Amino acid sequence: MKRCKLLVSSFSTGFLVLFALGAFALCDVRAQVPQATPPPPAAPRSAQFPKPVERALVNGLRVVVIDRPGTPLVTAQLVIKNGAEVDPPELAGIGNMLANLVTKGTARRDATQIAQEIEALGGSLYSSARWDSTRIGVDVMSSKIGPALDILADVVRRPTFKADEIDRLRQQTLDDLTVELGEPSSIARYVAARVTFGDAPYGKPLAGTTETITRIDRGDFLKYHGRWYRPDNAILVIGGDIRSINAFTLAQRYFGDWKRPAESLPILPPPKPVADAGSRVIVVDKADAGQAAVMVARTGIERTNPDYFRGVVANSVLSGYSGRLNQEIRIKRGLSYGASSQLDTRRGVGPFVASAQTKNPSAAQVADLLLGEVSRLATAAVPDIELNPRKAVVVGNFARNLETNAGLVSQIATLAVYGINFNEINRYIGNAQGVSASDVQSFAGSHLDAKTTSVVIVGNAKEFLPELRQKYPQVEVIPMSELDLNSALLRKKQPTN
Amino acid sequence: MTQRRFGVWLALVALLLGISTYADTSQAQVRMARINFQQQTLPNGMRVLSAVDHSSPTVAIQVWYHVGSKDDPEGRSGFAHLFEHIMFKATKNMKSEMMDRLTEDVGGFNNAFTNPDVTVYYEVVPSNYLETLLWAEADRLSGLTVDEPNFKSERSVVQEEYRQSYQAPPYGMLDYLIEQQSFTVHPYKRPTIGSIEDLEAASLENVRKFHETFYRPDNATLVVVGDFDPKQLDGWVTKYLAPIPKPAIPLPRVDVKEPERTTERRITHHGANVPLPAIAITYLTPSEKNPDSEALQVAATILGEGDSSRLYRSLIYDQQVAQSADAITDLREDAGVFYFNVVLASEKKPEDVERALLAEIKKIQDAPVSLAELNKAKNQLVTNELTQRETSSGKALALGQSAVLLGDPNRVNTDLARLQAVTAADVQRVMKKYFSANNRLVIYYLPEAAKTTASGGQSK
Repeated sequence: MKRCKLLVSSFSTGFLVLFALGAFALCDVRAQVPQATPPPPAAPRSAQFPKPVERALVNGLRVVVIDRPGTPLVTAQLVIKNGAEVDPPELAGIGNMLANLVTKGTARRDATQIAQEIEALGGSLYSSARWDSTRIGVDVMSSKIGPALDILADVVRRPTFKADEIDRLRQQTLDDLTVELGEPSSIARYVAARVTFGDAPYGKPLAGTTETITRIDRGDFLKYHGRWYRPDNAILVIGGDIRSINAFTLAQRYFGDWKRPAESLPILPPPKPVADAGSRVIVVDKADAGQAAVMVARTGIERTNPDYFRGVVANSVLSGYSGRLNQEIRIKRGLSYGASSQLDTRRGVGPFVASAQTKNPSAAQVADLLLGEVSRLATAAVPDIELNPRKAVVVGNFARNLETNAGLVSQIATLAVYGINFNEINRYIGNAQGVSASDVQSFAGSHLDAKTTSVVIVGNAKEFLPELRQKYPQVEVIPMSELDLNSALLRKKQPTN
Repeated sequence: MTQRRFGVWLALVALLLGISTYADTSQAQVRMARINFQQQTLPNGMRVLSAVDHSSPTVAIQVWYHVGSKDDPEGRSGFAHLFEHIMFKATKNMKSEMMDRLTEDVGGFNNAFTNPDVTVYYEVVPSNYLETLLWAEADRLSGLTVDEPNFKSERSVVQEEYRQSYQAPPYGMLDYLIEQQSFTVHPYKRPTIGSIEDLEAASLENVRKFHETFYRPDNATLVVVGDFDPKQLDGWVTKYLAPIPKPAIPLPRVDVKEPERTTERRITHHGANVPLPAIAITYLTPSEKNPDSEALQVAATILGEGDSSRLYRSLIYDQQVAQSADAITDLREDAGVFYFNVVLASEKKPEDVERALLAEIKKIQDAPVSLAELNKAKNQLVTNELTQRETSSGKALALGQSAVLLGDPNRVNTDLARLQAVTAADVQRVMKKYFSANNRLVIYYLPEAAKTTASGGQSK
């Protein structure tokens, strides 16, 4: 018999002993035949995370550089510290469409030139609005970072918003929406946002609706760009195989003369959910859906909430391959290819969502299982033999996410957007490991009450509605043709005769 | 590719889409570190490839089995992939899902994927767990003991995977048709995911037989990349993998040849949930070992990669007839398929879009691409490859692909030179050679509602 030791992680500034958890997982295995049990792990090895350095330019632009030699790649991301949450409700989707539009023409280059120049460098230029930020970035070989930053600065600072480009992109955006709304899971996500946040900022569809996209005009783009795209509302993050001194020089060259507007930056309070949103049970009846998308959704926490790490660990008990949702839905019952949950923390209180896709006839059963697992988190403590491996998952995912330049830059950019000290990277593992079973239970009790969680199912209703209705007589059924994402009513207004 | 778990791993996508491996270049501007690998073949026929990389305290372990959906038993389409899922169930010394205890529970992860030619199992774990995982891989190579309830439950999971990948998304069945209809004789005509009916017919006896036939050391390649000591690795390989016996029976290999296409074929399919009509055109291409592969990859990149690609500029930007336009070279071991997949912009006619697409193909056949386009495509392919090689698991994938599919692990370090050697004349030559009218399959993928209104093509 082997004697099992629990390894304790040590920690000093900049250095971490990773993956010390989990040794216990092998402890209950009986050693008899030499080949019959897995050999135990050797001593864990240490890792060091790269350290970001930062400077502010005179115009207020915050520049963050992470020098990590190795693969000759560099990622540069220009982050605007606002995203779809500042879209006016009647112009929902403007932020995302604008992020796309800036790459379609500047005072110096037309759309074709921009694409040709960046792709000739082997790079790609990506831009999109998300909640709380807008990211415009390039991934290129290290030797091409200068010209790539030149293009990045040009599109951010000098877009021209030509009328023909607006028309072209509008039509493309409308077609993209048409395709996206053919997917049950996309529809469920949009409906869940409306159900959770009502008509508050995070309730809008991030990419807009047919009505709002049709409404946006050139003046709206100019106004939005002038208001939010400014150096004192932006962060430039550069990471990869580049010396920081070179990165700062390039940042000064391409962004140093970006003028800060005279009027002050609008200060908005963090978005709040609508107080009376309440819980709902909604079915979107899409008769041609080959599978049902099942989602349970409610509010969660904001990113700066002191309970953040408790939330991250609580979510990992539910989510991930061996999380409870998959254990119950996939592994035990074969009802789905995969169930998962996300605690999406934002500047304001963000959503918590658990979801799975399943054949239409089992949709009601899967909704029950999802809700049941959310509820169980608050009613009983997670045994340590289950909790410790889930914490190891959190730690492992975190460390792997930092292995690639794109992952590293994205992570740093997110910390910067929420004003969190970069040292959190070095405290992350300790913080996750410090979460106890009672922390998880109390987090679930105070933030993830299943009783105030909504249910959204998009699928062929006749195959699951009778079963669902028995449990939830209040279910609202909306035929796909009557779905309206423009408001929390979710239903097109009936013509009044 | 069909994989055990739902998720997107870009490196894998790139691999599947046929972005091959490029390394070591004389061009000053492209630096790509050599992968300094060791290789040996054990007496039982198992090949072992390894490369040390201490940049992170983790190690990537992959076992490539040279068996894919083209080896599915008769009447059991989808079986190789279903079997891949079953490999995570009970073995002699492991309970179901114990692989997850040894990987996920210690901060690592595992997954697996099946494509027409190979089945690959992979793990990334903290490096102090390497020996444990070698033991586990040896154990499941030695035999499975899955029972009926576990088998049936996992079979339902795969059926849900079918629905999630092909029935729920709007163009899933178009992807299915491209796979199914591009080949007429070769078993590549069976999509890797299979069909619900064939999956339903699969039995535990099929599992036993499939393991016995294909899961043997002389059909396996172990790849280890990351933070380890080579001497220790050798010791563990000797201890855990070398003792597995090589069966006496020969390994079956598919020897069916897909005949050349002799005339254009057209299919019209009316599907449920088709938000906008789509068209696809497919052409048969040779084995990925053929020297034309690099030129085909460059052609696909020039035609379809990024906003400056020819299809984007022509179909989406200038003519505004398409919502999306892809050019994909699906390189395979026996024969490949190069296909175009275009979703129409609203209110456009499939006939017009087909004409526009064929005009672009003619253009690249009639005149050589510019030097700027050629270099751009090479830079894009090299950047993709560099991105894949950022991680140990990406490097291991590149090594495994070279060894198992290209037949030479050194290709991981020599393919960059092959790519750099591609000329504009090569691109024009392969476009003329393979993109003839007679080598064309045209698929119209239309909404159910369009059935009453006549549209081009014949009914299926």
